[in-house]
Amino acid sequence: MNAINEKKKSITAIRGMGAALVGFAGWLVLYVVFGLIEPNIFTTNNMLNLLRSMAKYLLVGVGQGVILITGNIDLSIGSVVAMSAMISATMMSKGISAIVAITAAIVCCLLVGLINGLLVGKFKLPPFIATLGTMFCARGVAYMANGNRNTDAIVSGLGKEAGDAYQKFFYYGKTFGIYNAFWIAFVIFLAVFFIMSKTKTGRHIYAIGSNVEAAKLSGINVFAATTKAYLISAFCSAVVGLILAGQAGMGNMEAGNCYEMYGVAAGVIGGISPLGGSGLLLGAFAGAGVWQTLENGLGIIGAPVGIQRLVIGVIVAGAVLVDVVFRQGSKKT
Amino acid sequence: MKDTIVSMQGICKSFPGVKALDNARFELRSGEVMALLGENGAGKSTLMKILSGVYTRDSGTMEIFGKSYDDLLPKQAQQLGVAIIHQELNMCPHLSVAENMFLGREIMKGFTVDRKAMEEAAKQILDDLHIDIDPGETVGNLPVSKQQMVEIAKALSVDAKVLIMDEPTSALTAKEIGELFRIIRKLRDDGCGIVYISHRLEELQHIVDRVTIMRDGQYITCMDFKDTTMDEIITHMVGREIKEKFPRVTCEKGEKVFEVRNLNAGRMVRDVSFALYAGEIVGFAGLMGAGRTETTRAIFGVDHKESGEILLDGKPIPIHTPADAIKAGIVLVPEDRKKDGLCTKLPIRENIAMPNLDLLCGGFGVVNRKKETAMCEKAVSDLKIKTPNLEIDAGGLSGGNQQKVVVGKWLARNSRVVIFDEPTRGIDVAAKVEIYNLMNQLKQQGIAVMFVSSEMPEVMGVADRIIVMCDGRITGELMARQASQTEILTLATKFENKLAETAAEEGQDA
Repeated sequence: MNAINEKKKSITAIRGMGAALVGFAGWLVLYVVFGLIEPNIFTTNNMLNLLRSMAKYLLVGVGQGVILITGNIDLSIGSVVAMSAMISATMMSKGISAIVAITAAIVCCLLVGLINGLLVGKFKLPPFIATLGTMFCARGVAYMANGNRNTDAIVSGLGKEAGDAYQKFFYYGKTFGIYNAFWIAFVIFLAVFFIMSKTKTGRHIYAIGSNVEAAKLSGINVFAATTKAYLISAFCSAVVGLILAGQAGMGNMEAGNCYEMYGVAAGVIGGISPLGGSGLLLGAFAGAGVWQTLENGLGIIGAPVGIQRLVIGVIVAGAVLVDVVFRQGSKKT
Repeated sequence: MKDTIVSMQGICKSFPGVKALDNARFELRSGEVMALLGENGAGKSTLMKILSGVYTRDSGTMEIFGKSYDDLLPKQAQQLGVAIIHQELNMCPHLSVAENMFLGREIMKGFTVDRKAMEEAAKQILDDLHIDIDPGETVGNLPVSKQQMVEIAKALSVDAKVLIMDEPTSALTAKEIGELFRIIRKLRDDGCGIVYISHRLEELQHIVDRVTIMRDGQYITCMDFKDTTMDEIITHMVGREIKEKFPRVTCEKGEKVFEVRNLNAGRMVRDVSFALYAGEIVGFAGLMGAGRTETTRAIFGVDHKESGEILLDGKPIPIHTPADAIKAGIVLVPEDRKKDGLCTKLPIRENIAMPNLDLLCGGFGVVNRKKETAMCEKAVSDLKIKTPNLEIDAGGLSGGNQQKVVVGKWLARNSRVVIFDEPTRGIDVAAKVEIYNLMNQLKQQGIAVMFVSSEMPEVMGVADRIIVMCDGRITGELMARQASQTEILTLATKFENKLAETAAEEGQDA
């Protein structure tokens, strides 16, 4: 009995765990509610689709979550997604091998992350402005990649076999019965979660988000930690771009529109404070799940898109409102 | 004409844990400049904040212009003609001089602000004071001295009869001080009462009529300035009772460990040179704003150094960032633990581990949880940090325990030099003693300890040698056993005599 209590204590004692668990509970409740309205939601097929569609929100949630923990923001995420999709798809549609195209796309995206890190960490630009700039630039690059138009089909360049292999790897294929897109996002989530909770880099990222002066006076290189966070975010965005290219079988210049904000929503729903220093990436997982379930459920029960947006907006603001009210309440006692 | 305009009697005020004012009194007449003197923490500012309505008193009577008042709001005090000019200027730098002067009581014409009328009114006031500033100028573009003049003009624009100035000359050049004094004399001649708070005793002779001296929240004496001497003033200011017992450990003074040569970093660190030896605690005494914190920050690589050398064991070491200093074995416990020392939202564990992750990480930068727990548990038990476990938010601890966490994170490393900047500020007596004991332990281990404190008894009780700073320079060095409070305070108020320089300059001009 005692041992069980001890164990319980140790799980909820991890900071941010409470909020993340609330996020998961909310996810489950939403799912069940939708399922009761429309039983088709409970089918295995829908469940698998839900997990697959969730992959992109999970990735932007992880990327933006890390940035939120540093107390900054990354507005360039959506544009970097488009850049990655356009660069990789353009190259593949012109017959360049998938490996080379993927590598080139990721390198270009990491470059944007590096620039973000430089502007925010080194030159101390307000992150909102710095990443607003890179947001426009990256979108510009996405437009220019294929001369101002969407790309041709990937298969037209790579050939049927290699093109299908790419699309299967990133989107349509399954491993252990679950779509690859989810697995890719999940593995990256686990890796970043590990970095954030177990490594020096993670500690530094939390520290600069909590109190940048104290971090500096403890010998932490604020520029390096900021840049690492933006690189993680850029990498996640790059992978989302590759997934979208796999899904569409081509590159779309408008891909990833608004994804930076989906990332903020996923993080915030899962209890990651936009003020920095607190929250668990596990929360971003729950947030992405809530988000996708809403989109999925409202779509299946036939709610118009307007309603979907409205409900999602209420949930994002509500999640933070509840958090703020709770904090003020706990301060008084 | 010389009637009493402010009279405060038996004023008491307590803050949690401190009795800031204990039966204090104060009196101001019209047409005089009254200097309010005392060491840091003597209660001068608290008393003036009560007069200007910022704080409410616990007991005592307060009469302004012969009428007695209960608790005042800042706005009411202002309407009565009490104006306070703070050391830090309170202005909106993006607005114009006139807009600042009429902030919150803009002159309106219908629904719009009457810019022209405001600028004219402002010009009138500035002209009366013979201040040559364009009312349309943006305040942020003015030098600090002119901004201060604007602040004074603003106070007078609400018809201030009692003007409180807190260290008004600290940022001014000699010429600007001359200008300020001219204005103060003019206001005095117009019948205003002026309270002048300053540590720069040299300047008093140019301006002051009477002095009131406070110590430990109590009224000590009030004298005509012309009947007294500087020595007498200092004697009244010091003589704080030393109530606490300080644990002192005697140790053999060892080798020279650490040396700073000709360090310059901005106005507050000028040509600072000193050395620390193994087996001693060197106290850095001085008044607030003497440049001690700035010195520690420059040494530690937080602020940019203009010139100077830092030597460890006789070898010069380049320090450009705190990481360099930490690597060399020099660590800093900063002055403001909430702002500079702690991540309050992170647990004790992560705070203590923060600067030591290089020691705690295995391959791929993965934190070794076992080592970390061992390090943190050792720190918690060594320093007697009161906490149920390591996962508590650092911000949830009491001040003393927070401070111990800040200290603890540095003691886990083998450091050669530990710099403490005001380590006992705002913590209870028991925690203070533990911090002193800790410094003594470090001293016994042969670690050089630099101990910055504005509490004179503390410095005298704990340090072996005392270096005194004033206005960014080292003004003297004393052995703690022989030092007296009077000597320390004399050194701590040894400002460069800016006005004497002007007199000389003016002499040359003539």
